[in-house]
Amino acid sequence: MSRTSEEAGRPALTLADPPPVVTTEGSSARPRRIAILGNPNAGKSTLFNQLTGLRQKVGNYPGVTVEKKTGTCEMPTGRRVEVVDLPGTYSLHPHSPDEVIVRDVLLGLQPGTPPPDLIVFVVDATHLSRHLYLALQVIDIGRPVILALNMMDAAEAQGLKIDERALEQQLGVPVVGISAARGTGLGHLRRLMDRDVEPSTQKFRRWPPHLERVLHHLESRLPRHPDLPERGRLDLALALLLDDGEDDALARSAPPEVLDDLGIVRRRLDAVSPGWRADEVEGRYEAIHGVLERAAIPAEVRRDPVRERVDRVLTHRVWGVVIFVLLMGAVFQSVFSWAAPAMDAIDALVKNFGVLVEGVMPAGPVRSLIVDGIIAGVGTTLIFLPQIAILFFFICVLEDSGYMARAAFIMDRLMGKVGLSGRAFIPLLSSFACAIPGIMATRTIDNRRDRITTIMIAPFMSCSARLPVYALLIGAFIPNRWIGFVTLPALTLFSMYLLGIGAAIAVAWVLKRSVLKGGRPLYVMELPPYRMPSPRSVALAVRDRSLLFLRKAGTVILAVSMVLWFLASYPRGGREVDALKTRVTAAEQSGDTATRDALSSQLAGVSLRNSFAGRIGRFIEPAIEPLGFDWRIGIGLITSFAAREVMVSTMATVFNLGSGDDDIVSLRQTLRDAVDPDTGLHAYSPLIGVSLMVFFVLACQCMSTVAVVKRETNSWRWALFMVVMMNVLAWLASFAVFQGGRLMGFA
Amino acid sequence: MATERSLDRLEPGERGVILRLDGDHGAMRRLMELGLVPGTRVEVLRRAPLGDPIELRLRDVHLSLRRSEAAFIHVEDV
Repeated sequence: MSRTSEEAGRPALTLADPPPVVTTEGSSARPRRIAILGNPNAGKSTLFNQLTGLRQKVGNYPGVTVEKKTGTCEMPTGRRVEVVDLPGTYSLHPHSPDEVIVRDVLLGLQPGTPPPDLIVFVVDATHLSRHLYLALQVIDIGRPVILALNMMDAAEAQGLKIDERALEQQLGVPVVGISAARGTGLGHLRRLMDRDVEPSTQKFRRWPPHLERVLHHLESRLPRHPDLPERGRLDLALALLLDDGEDDALARSAPPEVLDDLGIVRRRLDAVSPGWRADEVEGRYEAIHGVLERAAIPAEVRRDPVRERVDRVLTHRVWGVVIFVLLMGAVFQSVFSWAAPAMDAIDALVKNFGVLVEGVMPAGPVRSLIVDGIIAGVGTTLIFLPQIAILFFFICVLEDSGYMARAAFIMDRLMGKVGLSGRAFIPLLSSFACAIPGIMATRTIDNRRDRITTIMIAPFMSCSARLPVYALLIGAFIPNRWIGFVTLPALTLFSMYLLGIGAAIAVAWVLKRSVLKGGRPLYVMELPPYRMPSPRSVALAVRDRSLLFLRKAGTVILAVSMVLWFLASYPRGGREVDALKTRVTAAEQSGDTATRDALSSQLAGVSLRNSFAGRIGRFIEPAIEPLGFDWRIGIGLITSFAAREVMVSTMATVFNLGSGDDDIVSLRQTLRDAVDPDTGLHAYSPLIGVSLMVFFVLACQCMSTVAVVKRETNSWRWALFMVVMMNVLAWLASFAVFQGGRLMGFA
Repeated sequence: MATERSLDRLEPGERGVILRLDGDHGAMRRLMELGLVPGTRVEVLRRAPLGDPIELRLRDVHLSLRRSEAAFIHVEDV
C-alpha cells in the first residue's frame, strides 16, 4: 500500500539530495568519508558519539524511515573527516529496511549516500564468532576496513584473550582493541582512521561449485560500476540472486535482461540443490572457524555467571513478571508526573510570551494571528516535549542496558495473541501518556507490518490530553455514588481506558488479517549481555528525539494552528458583536472590571458562535445529532483537533465563561444546567455525557498525532486512513451508546 | 543411535547439535546467519514466563525464538 507512494516520492527526494561529488583534483577536495558499521549491540553508536561528540546531525534516508546519522570528527593531524553511523545489521543480505540501506550503501547503490572511503567495522569482542559473519562479508566486497574490537574490557574480565596481531594477519585488515564506553584505544583508532588503508587481499567466500559457476556467469553480465570494487561484483550478483524485492535500487542496478533471467537461474539452482540460499552462510561460518582457530581464539566463550544470575531473576516465572510490571508502572508514572512541572512551566512561558507580544504589538488581526493562532497553537505542541524527553530517556536506558530485549521476551506471548511482537508493548504503554512519543518509539519494531499496526492502534490508548475532558464530563454528569468498593466516577474513568484498549485489540486483529496480512514474520531476537548505559549516548538520543519532534511535527502543527485560528476568529464583527464591544469599552472606561470581564466572556462566546467554526458546528449538527451532540459540542469537536484538552476551554468560551482552572467547576454546573434554546429543556443528559466520552476515547482529534503518523510511516495514506478509521469507529460507537441508551430508557 | 528432535521439544537445560533447518528460505537463511548453522551446539536455557518464546544459547550468543520457529530446527541429542 505505501510502497507506491514511497516509489512516487523517491525521484523528487533524490533530486533534492546533493549530486555525487565529482572531483578532478583528487580526494583532497572533499572530506574523507568513514562509515561505522556492525551488528546491533556491538557498541557502534557509542563509538560514533565518542568520535563525533555534538558535531552530528540526524536525518532520514530518502523514501524510508531509516535514521541517517552523520557527523564530523577531527583527526590527530587536524584533518576533518565525515563519519556516517550506518544502522545495526546482521547481514549484507537484508531482512529489514535498515539492512536494505546498509547493503545499498556498501554496494554503492544508495542515492545520496556515496560509498565510504573507509569502514570502521565494530565487533563485540565477547561475541566474535557471530559478529565476524558480517565483517567477512564486508571485507570480501573489497572495501578498506578497520576492525575495531570493542568491549575489550569485558572480554578480559571474562578471561578471553585475543591476539590482535594474529587476527590482523588472518583477516588482512588492521585490528584495534577498544572500549567505546570507556574511551580506551580511541587514540590508536583515530590514527589508523587518518591513514590510507588497503583492502584485504584475503577472501572468505566458500561456496559449492554449482553456486560459484552461476555467480561468475551472472557477474560477467553485470556492467562495470564506478562505486563498486571489482571484487564486490560477485556480491552484487549474489545479492541479486537472493533478493526477491521488485523495484528497489538493487534491481535498478542490473540490466533488464539479467533481471529477467534471475527466475530461471533460481529455479535451476532449486533443482540442483534446494538449500542453495544458505550455502553462503555455511561456507562463511566455516571460514570464521578457520580464522578463529588459526588466531587461537576460542569460538565458545565461558558462561558469564553474573548475566546468568541476573537473567534468572529478570525472566523468572514470577519475579520476572513482578519486576516488569513494577518497572513499567514506574516508567509510566514518571512520564506522567515528572513531566507535569515542566509542562506547567512551558505552559506559563508560552502564556507569558503571548502576553509580552500582545503588549508590544498594536491590536489587530496580525497580533491575534500571532498570539492566539501561532503562539497558542505551537504552545500546545511544545507541551508534549517533556513527556517525549522523559519517555526516551527511559527507553534509551532500558534499551542500552539490555533490559528491553528481556521485556520483549516476557511480553511476546501476550502481544502475539493480537498478532504483534513483544516489542510493541512499550510504545503502546507510552501512548497512555501521549501517542506521539509512543508512535515515535515504534522504531524499535523491525517488522514493517507490525510497526504500522502498532502505530495505528497507539492513539486508542487514552492519553493524558483526554483526561481533562473525561474529568469535565464525569464531574458534570456522573453521580458520585459508591458501587461496591469503587465510586461510579472512578469506574467510568476506568471503563474509558478499557474501551480504548479493547478497540486497539480489535483493530489490530482486523488489520493483521486484512490490509497488513503477510507472510509469517520471523521473531528471532538477540538477548544481549547487560551493559551500563553511557550517559552521553542517552543524552544524545533524548536530544535527537526531541529535535525530530519539534522540527517535523512543528511545521504541520504551525499550519493547522493558523487554519484553526482563522476558523475560530472570522468573520469578525456583526451587529451583536459591535454592540458588545462598545459596552466592553464603556465598562472599561468606567472602571467596572466585573462588568467588563462578564461582557468580554460574552463577546468571546458570541464571536465564536458567529465564526466559521461556529457555522461549521451548526453545519455538522445533523451528522452528530444522532450521537446526542448539538452544534455547541460540534464547535468543541472542531477546535479539539488542535489538542483534545482544548475542548474544555472551547466549551467555556461557547458558554461565555472564562477558561481558567477555577472555572472548570462552574463549567460543570453550566453543562448540567444548559438549556436547549428550542425546547427549553435540559440540553445535556448523563447519556450524552457518556456518548461524548466514548467519542473522545475513539476519535482521532489530534493534529500532532496525525503529523507524527505521516512522518513515521512516510505516507499521508496511513495518516488519512487512521483519521477516517478512528472517526468512523467513534461515530458508530457513540451512536450505539446514545441510541441504545435511549431505547433502554436513559434519557 | 542418537535421537532427532525439533528444537521446541527440548526442555530447559537440554542440549543438542543442529542437524538441519526446514521452513521458508528467507527465515531459514536468517536463522543460520544468526549462528544456527548445522553442526552448532545449542542449549535451551529457559522458557519465557508465559511458556513462549524460548531462550537459546549457542557459541557466544543468546537468542530468543518462538516455539513455532524452533520447530523448524532439527537437533540431535548429545
